[in-house]
Amino acid sequence: MTASRHSWAEPWKVKMVEHLHMTSRAQREAAIAEAGYNPFLLPSRLVYIDLLTDSGTSAMSDRQWAGLMVGDEAYAGSENFYRFERTVRQYYGYKHVIPTHQGRGAEHILSRLCIKPGDVVPGNMYFTTTKLHQELAGGRSADVIVDEAHDPDNEAPFKGNVDHAKLQALIDEVGPERIAYLSLETNVNMAGGQPCSLANIRETCALCHRHGIRVFHDATRAIENCYFIQQREPGCADKTLAEILREICDCTDGGTMSAKKDALVNIGGFLALNDDELAERARNLVVVYEGLHTYGGMAGRDMEALAIGIEESVSWDHMHARIGQVEYLGRRLIEAGVPIVRPIGGHGVFLNASRFLPHLPREQFPAQALAAALYVDSGVRGMERGAVSAGRDPQTGKNIYPSLELVRLTIPRRVYTQAHMDVTAESVIALYQNREQVGGLRMTYEPKHLRFFQARFEVSTAG
Amino acid sequence: MKTIIEPFRIKSVEPIRMTTPRQRERILREAGFNVFLIHAADVVIDLLTDSGTGAMSSEQWAGMMRGDESYAGSPSFYRFQERIREVFGFDHVLPTHQGRASERILFELVGGPGKVVPNNAHFDTTRANIEHSGAVAVDLPIAEAAQPTNRHPFKGNMDVNALERLIDEVGREHIPLVMVTITNNSGGGQPVSLENLRAARAVCEKHDLPLFLDACRFAENAYLIKRRESGMADRSVRDIVREVFALADGATISAKKDGLVNTGGLLLLRDEQLFGRASNLLILTEGFVTYGGLAGRDLEAMARGFEEVLHEDYLAYRVRSIEYLGEKLLEAGIPIVQPPGGHAIYIDAAALGPHIPPRQFPGQAVVCGLYRIAGIRAVEVGSVMFGEPENGREHAARPRSPLELVRLAIPRRVYTQSHIDYVVEAMTELGARRETLSGLRIVYEPPLLRHFTAQFEEL
Repeated sequence: MTASRHSWAEPWKVKMVEHLHMTSRAQREAAIAEAGYNPFLLPSRLVYIDLLTDSGTSAMSDRQWAGLMVGDEAYAGSENFYRFERTVRQYYGYKHVIPTHQGRGAEHILSRLCIKPGDVVPGNMYFTTTKLHQELAGGRSADVIVDEAHDPDNEAPFKGNVDHAKLQALIDEVGPERIAYLSLETNVNMAGGQPCSLANIRETCALCHRHGIRVFHDATRAIENCYFIQQREPGCADKTLAEILREICDCTDGGTMSAKKDALVNIGGFLALNDDELAERARNLVVVYEGLHTYGGMAGRDMEALAIGIEESVSWDHMHARIGQVEYLGRRLIEAGVPIVRPIGGHGVFLNASRFLPHLPREQFPAQALAAALYVDSGVRGMERGAVSAGRDPQTGKNIYPSLELVRLTIPRRVYTQAHMDVTAESVIALYQNREQVGGLRMTYEPKHLRFFQARFEVSTAG
Repeated sequence: MKTIIEPFRIKSVEPIRMTTPRQRERILREAGFNVFLIHAADVVIDLLTDSGTGAMSSEQWAGMMRGDESYAGSPSFYRFQERIREVFGFDHVLPTHQGRASERILFELVGGPGKVVPNNAHFDTTRANIEHSGAVAVDLPIAEAAQPTNRHPFKGNMDVNALERLIDEVGREHIPLVMVTITNNSGGGQPVSLENLRAARAVCEKHDLPLFLDACRFAENAYLIKRRESGMADRSVRDIVREVFALADGATISAKKDGLVNTGGLLLLRDEQLFGRASNLLILTEGFVTYGGLAGRDLEAMARGFEEVLHEDYLAYRVRSIEYLGEKLLEAGIPIVQPPGGHAIYIDAAALGPHIPPRQFPGQAVVCGLYRIAGIRAVEVGSVMFGEPENGREHAARPRSPLELVRLAIPRRVYTQSHIDYVVEAMTELGARRETLSGLRIVYEPPLLRHFTAQFEEL
């Protein structure tokens, strides 16, 4: 019955609100110039609708807030840890659960444990922090995602899938012993929140396991992926999200999780492993970098909120409303002819900046320029996901120009209303109608690693 | 009024679950005689650590509700940054998820093979982070630090002459920085005097070396300076804190102690270039520079905690409650490190159980005894925490632990006087049956920080 319901009305009501500040266009123009045209450097009080990220920005439920009050802050053996551990085991199915302060803490430990200098880490596209951890451990990442993922207009239902021919070719080329593991991200962020199919995940894992290669699952948005599987994959319509999640995780050898996304918390993450020996080594490292293995750098209360958040995240009604809201914004933009990545993804709408601003060459960072222009127009903060995020090739030192030059409008969970989505859509549409007025940018400061966070720009005078 | 009372009343309580001696015996065995592995629900009074276990104030909880969770540029960060700059006088402030992350970033930048890092006494995670980078951690405490009954007021002091000798011996180019831990945790929570800090600063200046503080308990240290150092009685704690930090080029701080929060840490730096490199590493492993791996609400709670900890009524209560426990234990004939420090009472396990040799871990034996008798969880600070695996690597600079201690760390604002009286009663009983304590041997140990997960057997 519920699965056939079409409207996406939220399965909750609002319990606590947070005031927003309105700003004038003149204030925003000054603020973005001050921030070097990088929305990351804007103070959030000058942002009206903050679509920078869905990471840690969600609203917790009253149950989660109540969980914060029953935090057991004992340094060792906190009750909240055991509940958190049970919950992760139940829903994700991995044997060993190692808490970390957030997802990159888990990536850091996994990379240190499993990558030797010269190793290759294949993955379905890349994520910024994951890739850098792999590189700093001496490895290099190799993209084995299907070609459709690089084509923003292709409507394929599972653009997160691994291309098995590419993967096999890589194994043949470097040899399975030089492959540290396969990094399998569900609901691929950089591809526009695009899912993998269950069939593809199974075959990917089988292929890797035949060669003795382990598969580690970046489970950050796995449950959004489960929703797409249930909606789109033949034979999956009658499965619950929790059942699909277990089927995905059961194929893989472990995973990293930033709980700040699916799990509806503001802070937290974990590393999950099935191998006893690897888990033991991970526990020895977590105590050096993160915290004792029964808190891993999280307060007790945060583990409690995380356990409750996982239970809430597998609810079909929750996920239907979550993805329904993203789809609502996406459809409004499509109807107005705005070029966005299709199909509409799980956690945000990705504007195709190359087609939005065809008059700007890649060297002038059209996605960065579009993100800055959107902020000036309406105070909506999005994030560049294109050449600035991709950084430079570690060998040649040249700018990488990925096939996708995008602005991500990421929707925090349970935070904004339909009216906020309408304001966002109106602003993007207005900007699209006056797109030739948007000028390019020139980078004036470039950090060595993860430059998109702190890079500074000025308005380009060229062309 | 002579009686020092808590400058607060209780707003929210957490039930304590009682256990029977039989239950505790089973629990202790299941945990391999390592209390780190016992569930907190099976502990009556938890004195394992004062780190992250304090009670926040209603003001801090209000801050939790006010936390702005924006990924970048949260107002909670700006409030936090302003407060930290004001308290410590550092412009460059990085939040981290907790203290060991600050240490890891610092030593990943300045450590490495061939480097030597002196300190009055490194704490366990600091030592682990230095050694993990390939560098060598050297302790340079004054001689009095190793004499538990010596009532020197500043047993946390660094042996500044030994620092000079070390610099001459290994060469200043191999020393990235000099560190001083305030208060000196592994040496008994003992304070470092302002005079000693000035002297350490002078040596650093002479050799052009940066001075860094491991400043988890900076407020307790400042209060003990006010109480014990001549000429300091009339200065405010806030003023002493400012002078202490003005002597330093940087600091790592776990906010889980004097920040009065359950999670959080700081890295303070003066050097612009080092700050830039630290920011890049922070983004990689902790989080963006305006949240550093913490929720916005945790930044709010920290900003308020670092303010509340400087209230002198609070510090008077805090230090007095530690002294109270120390006095009662001395009256009961329990050997403790004297004078009592700022955050804990340290029992001299070698004196309490002289029949147990260091290699049989007398401290661990006392910890197990205290749990058996009363469900109290303490921590060994001796050969388990600082000793070498018997067949382990050789570190020339790493001595066996000079002291065999058991730390009773008092969480801030959590336990009442009657809880402390219960602890005194249990310790008194343990003292009466001291000859029944038995030594232990390690049956499992990990390569780093073995005390957290090691397993033991009773002999």
